[in-house]
Amino acid sequence: MTRARLVAVAQLRLFLRSRLAVVALVLLGMLSAIAAVTGAAQADRIAGERRTAQAAAEAAFQAQPDRHPHRMVHYGTYALRPLGPLAAFDPGVDAFAGSLVYLEGHRQNAATLGAARESSGLIRFGLLTPAFVLRVLVPLLLVFVGFAMIVGERQAGLVTLQISHGVGWRAYLGGKALALGAVAGLAAVPGLLALGWAAARDPADAGPALAIALSSLLWLTIWVLGITLVSARARTAQSALLALVLAWAVLVVLVPRAAAGTAALLYPLPTKAETDLSIHDELRRIGDSHNPDDPHFAAFKARLLRHYGVTRVEDLPFNYRGALSAEGERLTSQLFAAHAADMAGIQLAQQRLVGFAGLASPAIGFAQASMAGAATDLGSHLAFLEAAETHRYQLIQSLNRLHTHAVRAEDDAARSRDPLAEQRSRVAARFWAEQKPFTFQGPTASDRVAAMLPGLGVMLLWAALLAVLLFRQRPL
Amino acid sequence: MTRMLLREWRLLSGASRAALLGLACLAAVAVALGLAAVSATRADIARVVGLEAKETAAVEGFAQGAAGSFGYYRHYPVWRAPGDLGFLAPSRGDAVPEVQRIRMLALEAQINDNESANPELLLAGRFDFAFVLLYMAPLVLIALLHDLWSAEREAGRLGALQSLPHADRRLWTPRATLRFAGVALALLIPLVVGAAVEGTAPGRLIGAVGLVLASLAFWAALSLLVARSEAASATQAAILAGLWFAIALVIPAAAHLAINRAVPLPDAAELIRENREEVHAGWDRPKAETMQRFVARYPDFADRADVGTGFHWKWYFAFQHLGDLHVAAQSAARDAGIARREGLAQALGWALPPLKLTQALQGMAGSDVRAELAFRERVRAFHAEIRTYHYPFLFDDRPMTAAEVAAAPSFGAPPAS
Repeated sequence: MTRARLVAVAQLRLFLRSRLAVVALVLLGMLSAIAAVTGAAQADRIAGERRTAQAAAEAAFQAQPDRHPHRMVHYGTYALRPLGPLAAFDPGVDAFAGSLVYLEGHRQNAATLGAARESSGLIRFGLLTPAFVLRVLVPLLLVFVGFAMIVGERQAGLVTLQISHGVGWRAYLGGKALALGAVAGLAAVPGLLALGWAAARDPADAGPALAIALSSLLWLTIWVLGITLVSARARTAQSALLALVLAWAVLVVLVPRAAAGTAALLYPLPTKAETDLSIHDELRRIGDSHNPDDPHFAAFKARLLRHYGVTRVEDLPFNYRGALSAEGERLTSQLFAAHAADMAGIQLAQQRLVGFAGLASPAIGFAQASMAGAATDLGSHLAFLEAAETHRYQLIQSLNRLHTHAVRAEDDAARSRDPLAEQRSRVAARFWAEQKPFTFQGPTASDRVAAMLPGLGVMLLWAALLAVLLFRQRPL
Repeated sequence: MTRMLLREWRLLSGASRAALLGLACLAAVAVALGLAAVSATRADIARVVGLEAKETAAVEGFAQGAAGSFGYYRHYPVWRAPGDLGFLAPSRGDAVPEVQRIRMLALEAQINDNESANPELLLAGRFDFAFVLLYMAPLVLIALLHDLWSAEREAGRLGALQSLPHADRRLWTPRATLRFAGVALALLIPLVVGAAVEGTAPGRLIGAVGLVLASLAFWAALSLLVARSEAASATQAAILAGLWFAIALVIPAAAHLAINRAVPLPDAAELIRENREEVHAGWDRPKAETMQRFVARYPDFADRADVGTGFHWKWYFAFQHLGDLHVAAQSAARDAGIARREGLAQALGWALPPLKLTQALQGMAGSDVRAELAFRERVRAFHAEIRTYHYPFLFDDRPMTAAEVAAAPSFGAPPAS
């Protein structure tokens, strides 16, 4: 071990003397700092804007004057996806997933907005975030710094010299890996500081933040082992560099995209337009509220009349129009839920396929783990959409209950002709303030850490494999 | 020349041949995926147009000719049909829908809807021809060209080779040409095959080929420039890979941050909320006031703007439109801000030729931000067409005949799938 340390110290001195390594490290440090500072500022700004918008939506809803409840069904409200503190480290899908959903009766609206729709085409080149720096930039920096560390010495005849002086091949390899690992640790500092800073703002996020830090270090360990291995096996420094740059391009750039492209092809998602049309079509077959003779609604009416022992809806002890609205909402929402589950199922299948591709490229495992930990992955977004739909349904049905029980049927029927009946059909404003506001906590810290496990597992597998390959080979 | 090129091909190492073959495979897969994506998009559009026709027939069933009901319930599909070069950079699965349904209600509440895409796939980025051209091809070119001279120097042959008569013409030019041509063919053969499948217009195909060649020429020139230096082959490779890294990854990502910071946009959530507030305030505002503001815009209907105390569709659609007008300035400022951001990105392209050429290729494929903004403009114009088609029926209290329902504006002929 002491011998390995001596090798490492000597190698670090060489790194310090190499202008290329120092310049690259300084440049990377600057980029990391920019990414960390802008990442924190941006996440702060976005989270603040969403909080403000959510509060404004609730305030506007609660401030509505006396109204007919069905007006409120159409007035609706908004759900905004909150952004957790760790998004400063990895904003994940935030830019590409709509962040605002308009919640109203009869309809399940699409999520809207998102940075991807308001940026130049450069957004397709990648977002400079601390997670991006660690996943994409740092490994290539390590390649540039470390590719020649063994093969260069061999070409100069120095390896045999050191071995023959009793360093020992494994200690030699270990020392080199240790030195490169020190560089990796140094390069990771700004990103990890950003992570720590983000986690410090909410102690509940400490667990996932720690898991993200671990997975970052594991990811860089893979590169340290891989670079040491290639540098030990390559015939020339040039071929080591080419092999490593190629490996980086394939693992970090190519495979994640190819996996995403394949997933999109194998599990095609229907368009939102087509889903909406299918829902309309299915709805007409279940019960067409526009058709006065529709069998479903006729049966619904007959059931109510029988249950209350009356022959006309006017004799029901409540407002039939409200009950009809609630029944219509129940039917449409059933279909919304079924189709949303289908869509989520397809997207999760796509995500699983990409996850399997992580066996071929641990970059995918790292990306999925860090997004899951930061609650900025697909799962968190789907959970938000589901929470928004649940809130929509509860809000609308609570308004429909007011319509059924707080608006007299005679007033309701006469309100478009008779201004006085219209006045009487309004419900007191205090009911709007009683509606529960939309809240979304996101997945719990332990769920997030659990969601990171597959990615962590794949990285661990890679690290173990590379360590075995590295230390079991013999000197060339 | 052919003889010299053949000789250079025989001298090419196995690894280099594998790299060329690998690149050709990547380009072929990218083109195949692109072709599948554009044909799936066309099929999506055709299906939605077909289903919408069924839906319209159902609306006809209960609307009984009432123009107001048509205005409220009837939706019109709008779409971005992929062009004949769409397969090079398809936009399927983008946040901006490729096919969308629009109705006569306030447009601001509709035009920002996202496609229900998988955001993780969007984040990963596209595997398309533009990607292969920008990221993969330069690496292969760099690998093939960076040590053109240094490899021979390090093998101790450079002096002898340079002393051959006409070494440039007989040796280096054919060698560099073969390697460049190999990379170019690896990309262009799949491109031309894809264009043949799509029936791309010859002029546009030539344009795309020109962009590909220009992009490769940039990297080849840069590689040869560095290869000419006296440095060791490993250093040359490191310099070129570093330049590639900066041009293709770091500078665009950093510029994205800077541009978004430099050009702030009006708050979209606020815009959407204000639009809704204005529309819903229409219910409570005196009807005469609403109609007065509306006919100020549409004076042709001034003599028919009277509404009684009850509900009337012309009043309903008047306040819907007033809601759009209320935020029109903010909305235009937002679109202008996005266009300005894209303009700055395009300006950056002049400093980074590979970026410019990729942007140009995405432009030709019709999947850049300018195409998205142009689509929004078309949707706005189409929405105005729908409104103005319905207004006379609403203001004249005239029912729509089946022929008039059928004669409503359409976004155009859907693409053949």
